[in-house]
Amino acid sequence: MVQLYRKKRIDIVVEAARARAIIEMIEAVGAKGYTIVPDVSGRGNRGVRDEAHLSDVFRNMLIIVITAEAIANRIVEQSQPLLENYAGIVVVSDVEVIRDEHF
Amino acid sequence: MDTLLQLAIGNLLSPMVLFFALGVAAGWLRSDLAIPEAISKGLSLYLMLAIGFKGGVELASNGVAGTVAVALVLALALSFSLPVLAYALLRTGTRLDVPNAAAVAAHYGSVSIVTFVAATGFLGYRAIPYEGYVVAMLALMETPAIVTGLLLARRANPAGPTASRPTFLTKEVAREVFLSGGVVLLGGSFAIGWITGDKGMAVMAPAVVAPFKAVLAVFLLDMGLLVGRRLHDFRAVGWPVVAFGIYMPLIGGMIGLLAAYAIGLSLGGMTLVAVLAASASYIVVPAAMRVSLPQANPAIYVPLSLAITFPFNLIVGIPLYHAAAQWIAGM
Repeated sequence: MVQLYRKKRIDIVVEAARARAIIEMIEAVGAKGYTIVPDVSGRGNRGVRDEAHLSDVFRNMLIIVITAEAIANRIVEQSQPLLENYAGIVVVSDVEVIRDEHF
Repeated sequence: MDTLLQLAIGNLLSPMVLFFALGVAAGWLRSDLAIPEAISKGLSLYLMLAIGFKGGVELASNGVAGTVAVALVLALALSFSLPVLAYALLRTGTRLDVPNAAAVAAHYGSVSIVTFVAATGFLGYRAIPYEGYVVAMLALMETPAIVTGLLLARRANPAGPTASRPTFLTKEVAREVFLSGGVVLLGGSFAIGWITGDKGMAVMAPAVVAPFKAVLAVFLLDMGLLVGRRLHDFRAVGWPVVAFGIYMPLIGGMIGLLAAYAIGLSLGGMTLVAVLAASASYIVVPAAMRVSLPQANPAIYVPLSLAITFPFNLIVGIPLYHAAAQWIAGM
């Protein structure tokens, strides 16, 4: 049986215009890495978001961070002010990973 | 001299406008017709390259006269000042709040490159020449309006909490605006055309002259698809604002036309400056506003400039401004 380690996973759906600020914050609070899905679409309280053409104004990105609980809390806290006036969803879940040292 | 009606019908029945209409219909009916994003990006890059290069060659063969400097200053002045007028009209004629009115106003001081390119297609269709440096005016008019729009938003809310104040021209916005791919390619091609002149044109002509109108028609099909899908967003915009999307280009076009006449541009040049002053940005300015003025709602300013003003200028505006230019030139 492989040893599993408990971590927090944070999924942030954010409009492309704000993604840079979110990523800078994630790096600043000490997360060791993140994964980006550059183009996601769906429906939320700002209506349908898709239309990647022309400009990034209606494009959403998904940023996934897996990290220790303390850092996860800081990301959640600091994402609040950054998302004011922007489309954004922040979801935190418990996950288990192999290779503890990667996160 | 064509009558306005002949011009309008001629414009309406050009392949460019018909392909645009096809795109609008297909987009509105939610057809799965789509031009792959990479191809449409490629087409728009081609159009920037071709229009920039032709403008540069034109400038090289006609030389730099005093008029050029005057025209460039005029371009900056139009882009800086048109948002002030737009903002005043929006605040009195619509219910838009300060950030939304300021954001919309910025769009109307800036320009739509595709509308400009379509207008050169319209002139080319009729073999009407224009001054090459009008392309440089196009490049200069893209950004000053953003500064004015942000100033309008900031002036109206000087003591607000920091979060609701527009972050001014940050490095991020500056890069977005001055180094956006379109601006770099347009300016770069203009410089290359200017440096290489007629010899350069001999090399580039097979690529930048002959296929130009056909590529433009295909690109307008893609624009039509985008507009058609956005037509469903009207409800969010509201009728007084929709009306603004139609009367503002008429007012801006008239101002551009008179200014171009005053500095002595040709018939073709007057038409193009009127189009520049009438058109509204829907690529560079939305991206800048989203970063700098996030309280403004993109579901208002994008459909307004893309789905109302752009088709209006393409179908009605261009022949109208040209007819007005003919009338003024013939006085």
